Amino acid sequence: MPFVEAITKRRSLSIVGLEKNTGKTVCLNYILRRLDEMAKVSVSVTSIGVDGEQVDSVFATAKPEVRIYRGMRFVTSEGHYVGRRLLSCLVDVDSNRTAMGRLVTAEALSSGEVILSGPSSNIGLQRLLARERANGVGLTIVDGALSRLSLASPAVTEAMVLATGAAVSPSINELVRKTVFVKRLVDLPQPEPSLRNALSAESRRGLWAVDADGLPRDLGIQSALLINADTDLLRYGKTLYVGGAVSGTLLSRLSTLGRGIALVVDDFTKLFITPEALLSFERAGGRLFALQKSNLVALTVNPTSPQGYLLDSHRLCDALSEATGIPAYDVMKIERFGNHLT
Amino acid sequence: MLLKDWTKEMASLAYVVDALELLTSAGRRVLLAQQLTTNVSDLEREYDNVAVAVSVCKAADKRRHNEPDNAAQCECCDTPQHERKERGDGIGEAFVDLRHCLMELHDLHGTLQLLKSHTVLSEVDLFEVKRLAHINARARVAAAALGESLSSIMALPDLGEVFALLDPDGTGVAHFYIYDSYDSRLADLRKQLRATDDAAVKTDLMAQHDALQQQVMESLSAQLHPYSNSLMQSLERLAYTDILLAKAKLAIDWELVRPVLACDAATCYEQLWEPRLRHHNEQQGLRYQPIDVELRSGLTLVSGANMSGKTVMLKTVALAQLMAQHGFYVPAAKATVSPVAAVELCIGDGQDEMSGLSSFAWEIGRISHILSRSRSERLLILVDEPARTTNPVEGRAIVQALCTLLSQGHGLAVVTTHYSGIVVQCHRLRVRGFVEDMATVPLTPQSINRFIDYSLLEDSDTSVPQEALRIAALLGADSDLLAIANSQLGVG
Repeated sequence: MPFVEAITKRRSLSIVGLEKNTGKTVCLNYILRRLDEMAKVSVSVTSIGVDGEQVDSVFATAKPEVRIYRGMRFVTSEGHYVGRRLLSCLVDVDSNRTAMGRLVTAEALSSGEVILSGPSSNIGLQRLLARERANGVGLTIVDGALSRLSLASPAVTEAMVLATGAAVSPSINELVRKTVFVKRLVDLPQPEPSLRNALSAESRRGLWAVDADGLPRDLGIQSALLINADTDLLRYGKTLYVGGAVSGTLLSRLSTLGRGIALVVDDFTKLFITPEALLSFERAGGRLFALQKSNLVALTVNPTSPQGYLLDSHRLCDALSEATGIPAYDVMKIERFGNHLT
Repeated sequence: MLLKDWTKEMASLAYVVDALELLTSAGRRVLLAQQLTTNVSDLEREYDNVAVAVSVCKAADKRRHNEPDNAAQCECCDTPQHERKERGDGIGEAFVDLRHCLMELHDLHGTLQLLKSHTVLSEVDLFEVKRLAHINARARVAAAALGESLSSIMALPDLGEVFALLDPDGTGVAHFYIYDSYDSRLADLRKQLRATDDAAVKTDLMAQHDALQQQVMESLSAQLHPYSNSLMQSLERLAYTDILLAKAKLAIDWELVRPVLACDAATCYEQLWEPRLRHHNEQQGLRYQPIDVELRSGLTLVSGANMSGKTVMLKTVALAQLMAQHGFYVPAAKATVSPVAAVELCIGDGQDEMSGLSSFAWEIGRISHILSRSRSERLLILVDEPARTTNPVEGRAIVQALCTLLSQGHGLAVVTTHYSGIVVQCHRLRVRGFVEDMATVPLTPQSINRFIDYSLLEDSDTSVPQEALRIAALLGADSDLLAIANSQLGVG
């Protein structure tokens, strides 16, 4: 599988599901198995956030365990560590406590299953990636989540695999359209380095403007929903920054303020907008930037939806590859029939 | 009162504690839980220890700066563990090693309490205990390289047996799991576990395995129990080392001075300064004037105009006393400190509308508490302008009574006041105050400090300076207000 081959050259990778039941865990398990077979690079696996959720709360399916192979390292919470089904040796324990106990790092002495947890902040995640690298780990894989509840974002990893599928939409055209849009957001350009440094220096909440000297100025608006019609958002300049989630409402408001507006967000996971909202923002002369940028290296598809729809896997993969320029694979099919089919 | 409580009461002390570069949370916990040390020999020993730490820090620092700066930037420089390591230098390297040991230390006080109370430790807890033993061993090596004096102050126990117990295969590494060597049946079960793919068999084997692991953890916890005191000692000694090195660093950076202790004698400072205020002033480009203070046994009565720094003087004296009796060097050029059983303050305004407490009621409550305590203990008592919120006739009587009682006590008391005519056996000091030829009016509260001489003069007069109206005028007070007030006093 060429895409796993390509992954081994990266130092960090996140796996992100576009919706629930798009086969993210199948994809993660597939990648880990292939990495184990290839035995090219030392691997560490973690997740975003610590939640005690044992069962998928929407469809009541069991929260998936991830299969870790002998010799791999993994990070999880003390609570999940106790319940692991493999033999492992503790190599580090974090001093900070989470709801599920301390975060521990272990090395697998046998292959088996574990539920993963991980840092819940971007800084924690970045520190973990750096620490694993310093400990000689070649590739750290993050079981990512697209959630506005999580402060940590999968965008801090070098590469990303996006899991998509029938759960997103039962129509191939619609599914392709939505996936292409996410790819667009992942590929948003970064602002110039000086602006990036000024905005990354500390974490900010709410709506900010960047003044003529390149300094962030608080517009005193905690949420885009609280903007009054008579608030002058452009009093410091036309470059705006939002710390936190950005909705379509904010984008349409900005579309009415005239040309040349640049809006900077933390990363694509903070954007909760439709293709139409982005289009009208750009038609009005606006541009969108992201501080953190990842690289989408592959798409995986799950042609089955939890409601029972089944899409044509082959057609779906072809359509996605063609529209995005990124290889797309039906990992479940590969797992079932072997990879000579793709 | 614990240091933690003092830091809530006194912002200047919180500033000092915040400036300490503590590397461990255990160090912070231990420091904030400290009481005032009253025993002279304990204090002298603490100053001796700080002196040793100061010389070690200086020696390590000197070696570091003599080294050419050729170290490559660490890849993950946001983790403090990857501080630059000096090569080819015993002291510099050992000092960095010791700091690394402290940075890696977790405060497993709670875990050790569990061990002590015969609770079975989890795998993660056992890992933490093993890591403590590992850090302890490394810190002992580093301390030995830094010299006999520091090493005997640190007094780290030997945890070799603890480490051996948790490292049955002799790997020497601080990793941990329930090793095969703990129970011969484990290896067998694990072999079967690795070999099977049958989920049901695996679940069954895993259950047996977990039960066996539990037995091992119970046995390990029982074997470790006798070491719980040594482990606790290791944690507390490492925390103490952290505090000591931080105090030494602060003493060097701020040029603090070792206090000379003088029992039942006067407390005397030359060039005493208040760190928070001084640093604030320096940042703002404002002048800061250190002061000389002598507080004899009995009462010292301080007078001075408004804005002449009487309150700051009281607070600075309190800060220096608290620092000295918590084993810190003090912010002065020279310091002789008379240790006391406690420091008692009556400064500021404890008015609290919510509990129906007026300024006067709060003050009277404080003063009564202080007087009753002073009858049995040697205290440092600092009272700022007592009875200023009541009528001057009765107010003066209250101050007279307070001063009479304090002058008979065997501690040290300082009272500031604007009341004239307090007749009592005491040491009198007056803030020099406004320098005559300064007046470029109008002044602001911010700029006025340039024209005040904060030094304290010996005084024999029982009358206090009458400068309130003059200062009010300099501050640009309403002219009608000044005119009427002056005419009341019969001044043109």
